[in-house]
Amino acid sequence: MEIVVCVKPVPEAETRLRASSDGTALDPEGVKFVLAGYDESAVEQALLLKEAIPGSKVHVVALGPAPRTEEVLRASIALGCDLATWVDTGSVPLTDPLAVARALGKAVAALPHDLVLCGKQAGDDESGLVGPALGELLAVPDFGYVVDLRWDGARSCLTFRRATEAGLEAWESPIPCVIALQQAWNDPRTAKLPAILKSRKAPIAKAVLDPPDGGSRSRSERFELPPPRTGAKMVEYKTPQEAAEKLVRILREEAKVFP
Amino acid sequence: MTTRILVVGEVQGSRLSGATLEALGKARELSPGTGEVVGFLAGRSATAAAGEFGRYGVPEVWCANDASLDAAPVAALAPSVTAAAEAAQATIVLVGGTTFGRDLAGRLAVRWNAAAATGVTEVVPGDGFLRVRRPVFGGRATETRRLEGTRFVLALRPHAFPLPTEAPANPTIREVASGDLSANLRAPKRTGVEPVATGAGPTLTDAATVVSGGRGVRSPENFPLVEALAAALGAAVGASRAVTDAGWRPASYQVGQTGKAVSPQLYIAVGISGAIQHIVGMVSSHVIVAINSDASAPIFKVADYGIVGDLFEIVPALTAEVRRVRGL
Repeated sequence: MEIVVCVKPVPEAETRLRASSDGTALDPEGVKFVLAGYDESAVEQALLLKEAIPGSKVHVVALGPAPRTEEVLRASIALGCDLATWVDTGSVPLTDPLAVARALGKAVAALPHDLVLCGKQAGDDESGLVGPALGELLAVPDFGYVVDLRWDGARSCLTFRRATEAGLEAWESPIPCVIALQQAWNDPRTAKLPAILKSRKAPIAKAVLDPPDGGSRSRSERFELPPPRTGAKMVEYKTPQEAAEKLVRILREEAKVFP
Repeated sequence: MTTRILVVGEVQGSRLSGATLEALGKARELSPGTGEVVGFLAGRSATAAAGEFGRYGVPEVWCANDASLDAAPVAALAPSVTAAAEAAQATIVLVGGTTFGRDLAGRLAVRWNAAAATGVTEVVPGDGFLRVRRPVFGGRATETRRLEGTRFVLALRPHAFPLPTEAPANPTIREVASGDLSANLRAPKRTGVEPVATGAGPTLTDAATVVSGGRGVRSPENFPLVEALAAALGAAVGASRAVTDAGWRPASYQVGQTGKAVSPQLYIAVGISGAIQHIVGMVSSHVIVAINSDASAPIFKVADYGIVGDLFEIVPALTAEVRRVRGL
């Protein structure tokens, strides 16, 4: 099976967020970008399928500026991906999710793709638009919020579950399709040192973004951090009953969130 | 520019979902003129559910009466929503930001050639653009984004907008074809649904109130204390990673970076110290209450209200008080 997995470099979870000097984006100064969260799950799923289906290949594709994008591609190769393509956006990250999807779609369309995997959303912009948009652009079905993805070789179809508000939906789908993954409930593997060293020399194919802004139709005007939390207002009490009464009164009358 | 808005309905049972109603309320606010908000429904019960739109004053509902759409992937709705948006001359398609709405938004935006945003908490229309606000970085920051053009798809963040008041109307039903779905959109099959393990309670990501328990609860036998408080509040039950890693509750309960991200109106953290792992999954909650025996626990830095004390005394007292006030 030819598997394409799309990943995005995002700031690691512990990053202290700061606005850039023009106030429109995160200040990337000193921020460590990593393959994170849902994308890590997508890579892990791709590798599990590759191991389960002989003759499979995993091609990792990422879009973004240097050097962070190249770094997450090399990290994915170190984990076990076979080939890599980098859609270079120059020095500027592309932030319009649909422009990102179009550029990725073009790159993916040029590769053999029985299955396209991605995270259900990225931990920075939280959009979740790229997976479904890729489905439409590649004219294949797409499924979001997927866990438990497997290949049923006997019946030549994928089986998986979708975590929705109603519960876990069970699905079967032929390929090709796009699957946007929920965070894995199992632990993604970590790369071994020899693989990390080897990944530094792995070839990475480059694609050029055309037009340079990817045809973006949205841009960030302001990036704001909430005022620092001043810490909790503590409920003073003598008995547990008093604490309970005071808290319920606060929730009803002050915070107005008592259900 | 006339703002004409199509609201895509998601049906739960025979009612429109809360997220759809919130979208409908916002649509009415954005387009106060009569007749400028229209509805869309798909599937076997589309026409039957159209009256639900009517209850909130929507004069026109576009229906894709195709029973096969009920079991089809969300993607299969994009052609009929696009056809309805074109026919109704909509400039904005609004959808509730559930798993359904978010999956539809990306697909629809490409097909209808629109600019799009998800997780939207504020919408301000301009001339040839829309300005939206949306939380990013798991709610640790907010972005103001300008969308350009004349067509927009927005998925609204659940619980960010109030429910509309009823204003009964008798809507005109307009049929829209489900489109010539390619064979590959007909082939996938939904083979079953396993309801959420919490039974009668609301789901974690959907609930307006969430009560989560952590390591401070000490053992799985004590976890019903947390669940009793949740039941009294009509809340969903969550847990920190310590609890799910120890197997006290299934992984599906986990709130945090490696679990679910929640943003309810009220989040109560019981016996949770507040590791960053957990914080990123709940910090965008509207009001946070922490109950912990350790006054220096980091959870009190992100909480709005705190009670320092023995949860084994505080939580039962709180459950009793909640039950009393709610008349249970």
